[in-house]
Amino acid sequence: MISVIPRTLAPKVKLDLNNLSPEQVALEIKNLNLYYGDKQALQNISMSIPKGQVTAFIGPSGCGKSTLLRCINRMNDLVDICKVEGEINLHGENIYGKHVDVAALRRQVGMVFQRPNPFPKTIYENVVYGLRIMGENNRRVLNEAAEKSLRSAALWNEVKDRLHDSALGLSGGQQQRLVIARAIAIQPEVLLLDEPTSALDPISTLTIEELINDLKKQFTVVIVTHNMQQAARVSDQTAFMYMGELIEYSDTNTLFTTPAKKKTEDYITGRYG
Amino acid sequence: MDNINLGRHISGQFNEDLENVINHVMHMGGLVEQQLSDSLTAVNNDDEVLARKVLATDYKVNALEVSIDDECTRIIAKRQPAAGDLRLIMAIIKAIADLERIGDEAQKIARVALENFSGEQKALLLNLDNLGRKVLEFLQAALDAFTRMDVEAAVKTHQSDEKIDREYEALMRQLMTYMMEDPRSIPQIMTVIWSARALERIGDRCQNICEHIIYFVKGKDVRHTTAEDIRSL
Repeated sequence: MISVIPRTLAPKVKLDLNNLSPEQVALEIKNLNLYYGDKQALQNISMSIPKGQVTAFIGPSGCGKSTLLRCINRMNDLVDICKVEGEINLHGENIYGKHVDVAALRRQVGMVFQRPNPFPKTIYENVVYGLRIMGENNRRVLNEAAEKSLRSAALWNEVKDRLHDSALGLSGGQQQRLVIARAIAIQPEVLLLDEPTSALDPISTLTIEELINDLKKQFTVVIVTHNMQQAARVSDQTAFMYMGELIEYSDTNTLFTTPAKKKTEDYITGRYG
Repeated sequence: MDNINLGRHISGQFNEDLENVINHVMHMGGLVEQQLSDSLTAVNNDDEVLARKVLATDYKVNALEVSIDDECTRIIAKRQPAAGDLRLIMAIIKAIADLERIGDEAQKIARVALENFSGEQKALLLNLDNLGRKVLEFLQAALDAFTRMDVEAAVKTHQSDEKIDREYEALMRQLMTYMMEDPRSIPQIMTVIWSARALERIGDRCQNICEHIIYFVKGKDVRHTTAEDIRSL
């Protein structure tokens, strides 16, 4: 039967976030608690992050969204007083398990930070850095990877004629895309973005947002953002966090039009809690 | 506006913008209600002056529709409302379109008062007045529910349209009989039919307003669903 509803009007198929099949799940967070010393920063977080989609964490400062993001590639290990309980499963294996190689984990789960942090090297060397560390020295392989990553990061056309210039000569928006190219050059499965556009102008921001939409075809993207409209624009799922708790987690269209919880409503409409 | 909970935005200016737009909607609702009530009175009392007043005030309703639409567009552009705020703006944009059309229908009814009805045909207008008063009550209840964004009242009021429809059908049957009995009265009866039709359409518009209230409060779009679906909310 031919559907009478035009494709653009047909509702997007919603994932049931509470009942994802194992093939749909990229990351499964189970009863995660995190303490900085005596202070509990994350309270019993459980959620499944679907594969090949963009999931956004939103919430006021100090709500734990960055902390949660940093748990996913164990960046919090670098904080001495930090203690983590619970599980984060990647391919059914707990990344906080005893025998996990953290360096290998971070190859699978790449990260991009708020401020672009290119190395003081050439554009080319920045992109192939990860591959070189992994022992790849074949020039042809490196060249291919560099072009592919820069194309995926929507930067190729702007830098192809100056690959051997210093990366520090690029604009902020270009540097951020370069850092994304560097992160995806080693083909991670999950890409974590911690407020990737908060230091950028609106046009660079839109370029990165467009890029995020392309990236989800190859990677699972998890983004933390202070900009709610950005979460609304780029993400498929949104998680609202408040004081270390996961208050509401649902598909972005629902969360921004008919949130189930009053706290979510107050936050996204800019009201006093 | 108990359920609207306009205040408490961190931005005081946003609170003010929303309050303004809602005050304008209330004002527009009041005008439209007055128009319908005046047009019914004008027909009933054969009051040509009042009928002309209804025709002359329609521009105010139209101007309000345009300016409220404009305010809503500005709020969307500048504030990017989300969740309840967004649903409120959407409900308002749709409700004022319905209100404006109710104003137009009231005008059609007022025009009847400008026609010459002979003594015996005046009885026909009495039937129209019965239907008209019921529709006016319906409009008042819908506007009242809108003012308070009272979803229970909206669901209850929504059902009034069934009664209006039944009344309208009964009136039609009656008018048909008159036409068969006395074909010379057909031109006048046609006028009454058009007015009855206008009233019935106002009923539908009131029902729409109730649906907008339900959408705002519950976040559920109940247009084109059954009465059972709405009752089970």
